[in-house]
Amino acid sequence: MAGRGRGNGKSLTHEQLQALGITRADNAPQILAPPPLFPKLEVKPLPLNCDAATDYMVIVKDQFIEYLHESPAYVKANTRTDGIERYSDKYKLLALDAKKGKVLDCVWANMPPELRPHGGRARTTTRKRKLDDPIEIAKRLQTLEKKESQEDTAMETNENEEEVKKEDEDNEELLDEQEQEEEIDDGTDYANNYFDNGEDYEDEDDALDDGPVY
Amino acid sequence: MTHQLGRVVSQILGRHFGEIVQQVGNDLFMYGSKTIGMIVKTTGLPRTQVIESLRTLLKFDLATFEADATVEYKLNSENILLLIRYPRYLLQMKSKYGSEAEMIVEELLQQASCTATVLLVTVMNKYKDDKEKNLNIVNLKDTFISLATAGYIQQAPVAELKDGSEIPILVPVATIVPDLDVRDLMQAMTSNLADCKDNTYWKVNYDRFHLDFRDDMMIKAITRRIDENAGELMRLMLEQMYLSSSAWAVESSPAAACDLRDLALRVHDRPLLHAHVDHYLKVLEENGASFIRRAGDAGGGQYVVRTKRAAEQLLEALLDHTVTERLGSKAARIFRLIRSKKYIEEEDIQKNAMLPNKECKELTYKLLEEHLISVQPMRKAASAGGSAKAIYLYHVKLYDAAHAARELCLRAAHNVSRVSSATRAAHARLLDKQRRVRSIVHGMRVRGEPQQNIDDVLETLTPPELSAVSGAERRLRALSAAELELDRALFLISCYFAFPR
Repeated sequence: MAGRGRGNGKSLTHEQLQALGITRADNAPQILAPPPLFPKLEVKPLPLNCDAATDYMVIVKDQFIEYLHESPAYVKANTRTDGIERYSDKYKLLALDAKKGKVLDCVWANMPPELRPHGGRARTTTRKRKLDDPIEIAKRLQTLEKKESQEDTAMETNENEEEVKKEDEDNEELLDEQEQEEEIDDGTDYANNYFDNGEDYEDEDDALDDGPVY
Repeated sequence: MTHQLGRVVSQILGRHFGEIVQQVGNDLFMYGSKTIGMIVKTTGLPRTQVIESLRTLLKFDLATFEADATVEYKLNSENILLLIRYPRYLLQMKSKYGSEAEMIVEELLQQASCTATVLLVTVMNKYKDDKEKNLNIVNLKDTFISLATAGYIQQAPVAELKDGSEIPILVPVATIVPDLDVRDLMQAMTSNLADCKDNTYWKVNYDRFHLDFRDDMMIKAITRRIDENAGELMRLMLEQMYLSSSAWAVESSPAAACDLRDLALRVHDRPLLHAHVDHYLKVLEENGASFIRRAGDAGGGQYVVRTKRAAEQLLEALLDHTVTERLGSKAARIFRLIRSKKYIEEEDIQKNAMLPNKECKELTYKLLEEHLISVQPMRKAASAGGSAKAIYLYHVKLYDAAHAARELCLRAAHNVSRVSSATRAAHARLLDKQRRVRSIVHGMRVRGEPQQNIDDVLETLTPPELSAVSGAERRLRALSAAELELDRALFLISCYFAFPR
């Protein structure tokens, strides 16, 4: 009576297997190779009917997809360059620039605020926080004063020049800090995409003026 | 929400909106609903690109969002499948309402949602120089209004702000047929589009199109089964149905035979139908695949359109064909036998299908493997002998079989789309070159340059290149056509699922 009931490890008894038509003689030899990736078609499929309606639909479909590819709805990855300057780069960049400025034309009222352009979190407040702090400002001024005195002793230069220089340094430091802050903020390279000091653009322009690159 | 659906949805997104939207779509499909931050984390894409992708998805109604403490996005996979049905909508418009309606719907499908003024003015400006179309803003406006009246386009949901929150909630609104002023439209055409005050947005009502497709399918089935007059009668009955009952009702409310007779008499150039309306009704009732049913005898007989039954019948025909084409006519015989007997034992299948024992078993198991038939074990109480005998009853669960067929379709759609993108990638350079040559030649023809120069440009495509590119184009065309066919099958199956089980 041990073989009765459910369980016991086996799902079907010998009789049941036989009732299902599986007998020992019938068992196919074991196949060890994996099945083919592209199995052969057993039956040839029916031919597709080609009428004017189908032709029309195929054309319309291609047009629609082409439209989407041209529209800003088609999201493109930022192109990476391999550092080799090519003649075609200029045209590619021109084509890219034409598309880049476009934002998808949506009904912004129907979108969550985080998707709206320039919406989302207020970034400027967090950015300037450090400077608002009076202690910070005092500290910064002190360090700058120290530097000034050191440099004064080091070399003799016109005072006006010195001031200009200082300002420049200050600005650069500020910029650097802002960048760092942003990066920490997001944990992504989101901010990097936007950061463009305009140097590349100038270079490109020059190249255009000089004539084509050979 | 199956694995196959996810694969095909991903392919469609990739084909239409590029790899990045595809990645975001995949992520949303896998996890159900997610916030932006989570998507950024799992996909590893820059935040700007994720935002752009979500804008695209939301614009085309391919995703929805839920406003809670944070905004969570959800993929709307059913609507993504509809993207491959767009050509069919346009064909329907063109054949039923003419090219003006087609242009309006095409523009609206491209814009996803749009105000009436912007829509009409854009269409007008687009085809302004086309003398063949000969567009007229008044006609265009009338077409728009008739489309809105017929329900092919409807008003888009309106955003409502809950107090205190910035996140809008989309609320569907009833469509009010607009009263557009031609003078305003004319003015909008000349001035800048951005500063028009119209803020009622419109979008395409897919469901209305689906009703049309379903009716066409039923009429075509009757036409093929009986004849064109019967098809015409079916059309009249469906028209009558829309007057009295909801569109996706399981059965329509009864229509009197005399009403139908009156309607039939009003149809021109169908003398046979005029003469034999009653006979046609009788034939439809008895031999019309039970699309209609005689509900009562009052008023010369009352007839009911059984839409759900029709969907089932059409689905059964589709399944029969699927089995025939995949496993052969003998398997189809077994399939039909099982369906007609409801529950049947394996031995009886062999006897009734009149097939050799082994072959019959093999085919039955294959059907079982494809989930087109199911098996129900019935255990007899253990007899004294100790051997618990069970009988296995084979039967067709239509709902499960429909799911199996849907899976097959989705898998095929994925494969088709995959193969075509591979073909396109393999011949990308050649296809690009051909397109460029074509546009140059077109420009030269417009400018009226000598044939010699045009030939020179045409010869830049060498004969082997030409043969390769035409081969690729033929394949792509066949694959597109196959995709459209698959969509028809998918539509039929979704018709069946539209009714309550």
